[in-house]
Amino acid sequence: MARMTRREFLKASSAVVALSGLAGCASTGGAPTTTSTPGDLAPNRSGRRVIVIGGGWGGATAAKYVRMQDPAIEVVLLEPNDKFISCPFSNLVVSGVRSIESLTFGYDGLRKQHGVKIMRESATAIEPDAHRVRLARGFLTYDRLIVAPGIDFQTEQIEGLAAAGDRVLHAWKAGPQTVALAQQLKEMPDDGVFVLSVPPAAYRCPPGPYERACQVAWYLKTRKPRAKLIVLDANQNVISKPALFRAAWQAYPNLEYRASNKVVKVDAAARELTTEFGDKVRYDVANVIPPQRAAAIAVQADLVGVDKRWCEVNHVSYESVKAKDVHVVGDSTIGIPVPKSGTVANSMGKIAATAVVNLLNGRPAPEMPPINTCYSWVSDTEVMAVINAYRIDSGKVVQIEQKLTPGQSALYAHHAEAWATSIWADILA
Amino acid sequence: MRSAARVVQAFVLVAALAALVPATTAAGPVDTPGFTKAFSCSACHGSAGAARADAVPILAGMPAWYLKKAIDDYASGRRPSPEMEPFSKMVITLGVDDVAAYFATQKREASPIKLDRAAIASGRTAATQCAGCHGQDGRGDQAKGTPPLAGQPAGYLLNQMKLFKADKRSPGDANLTALKALMKGVDDPTLANLAAYYASLGR
Repeated sequence: MARMTRREFLKASSAVVALSGLAGCASTGGAPTTTSTPGDLAPNRSGRRVIVIGGGWGGATAAKYVRMQDPAIEVVLLEPNDKFISCPFSNLVVSGVRSIESLTFGYDGLRKQHGVKIMRESATAIEPDAHRVRLARGFLTYDRLIVAPGIDFQTEQIEGLAAAGDRVLHAWKAGPQTVALAQQLKEMPDDGVFVLSVPPAAYRCPPGPYERACQVAWYLKTRKPRAKLIVLDANQNVISKPALFRAAWQAYPNLEYRASNKVVKVDAAARELTTEFGDKVRYDVANVIPPQRAAAIAVQADLVGVDKRWCEVNHVSYESVKAKDVHVVGDSTIGIPVPKSGTVANSMGKIAATAVVNLLNGRPAPEMPPINTCYSWVSDTEVMAVINAYRIDSGKVVQIEQKLTPGQSALYAHHAEAWATSIWADILA
Repeated sequence: MRSAARVVQAFVLVAALAALVPATTAAGPVDTPGFTKAFSCSACHGSAGAARADAVPILAGMPAWYLKKAIDDYASGRRPSPEMEPFSKMVITLGVDDVAAYFATQKREASPIKLDRAAIASGRTAATQCAGCHGQDGRGDQAKGTPPLAGQPAGYLLNQMKLFKADKRSPGDANLTALKALMKGVDDPTLANLAAYYASLGR
């Protein structure tokens, strides 16, 4: 094994100290014990440890809800970022309606209110047979694992996209790219062309690209009326709330929507996109949202199906169909008839947490269906939404009903703000 | 008998321990059936019904009879709401009695939304016309079918009054004819004052 630098050693040691110190149980103190297996960053003495990989909508919720329901269970959350940045509402940052700071929250609530142990680290591998999660400098053992890593991009499916670097952004994980895309939009020539490329389903947040189209079109209409937005959609039609989006787009004559226009090539030097049919589209700003799959850790651990993209799970316990004692929630899952949305991930986090708590206490996981709401901002002030309710039938999630708001309105914008305030607190506070 | 006594003892101990844990971490023990069933509600209303947003009603401490009526009205479409109709159907499927009993027993936390003092004072004066049905303290009256208003977020109360005024909430409900007639005679700024006043009660 490679030798550790002093800094690395100190960092690894402090992670151990932080874990042992927070444990506050019968252990003798902060120093690593001599009886532990080499590389074990914090021996699991309670036999009731849950590790959560990923502190997003699903993972952070799961961590909190395990602790709420059984404070005797130790919960370790592995999350490399020190802040939670909400993807929902981040299209409003692109249009300058909201700041990224207004979508950014710390993890103090999970730590202080709920006693979740947070390690600012990435899981590098999962070893289901050994019940271990590998980190950069060792491993942690678990009794149950909740994997909530979100999505990664299949950048390699679009020629030239990797080489384009930060000249062509996705802004599909809220953060620096979101802010950078807002800047590109702002700096675009007054008669420029903004091209938005929508990936083929399935991808994170089905209405998201169309909401982004609304926000960019709204910005152009109010700030650069001579500019144009072209939406190149890999799908045959708007795949979420089509009638409501098309109604909203009536207000944006500067928006041109082209269905069945899958982008296969980016030429950042020539500022040109090429579609599957060989059409070339020149741009001033290109926002290419690449095809997606479950994040790398899920692929590495072979939690994905034959498509090598998404993780199939039990509809009641969210346990992986491929690995025992490993549960998967959020955007990396497939097979449950729900969209890859924040509300669904939050819902799955609660249900998986409840399953884990019950299973660790020798009881079966109760049957609980998820819920969904997707609010979409069609301008700076108006919102429309889709709502889905589900039930469990013979161990499978089935939809009871899907409902759309009758149109877009400021009242639903009020509701959307309320939903965001509430669900952010449900995840983190 | 002995084992029954032990069970009781254990129960008392568990209850005593549960009381020691801060409310934030003991919102719902896993054995309360309503806790998990309320997952359908908690994203917006909070896991213990302590809604934090101005537009969302606080369910903690809401009388079970009224929550059940609301769920029933939403599910049947009598009280139109594209958001609440599907979720109400879901709650009925899961067991509305458990959900209503769970929220009814949760401790009410004051809404964090700030209120305007002048609006509260004006609202207090205007509220005399509401007290006949909702009570002097705004606690409602099951016999009259009137819900408690005290401590609900002002934004939620105002939205509901506007919906009544426009006959968009429970349209055609004969029991509400008099209420809606009353609302039509009240201007929107006064409705906002009334909302602030009732939101301020019981804080």
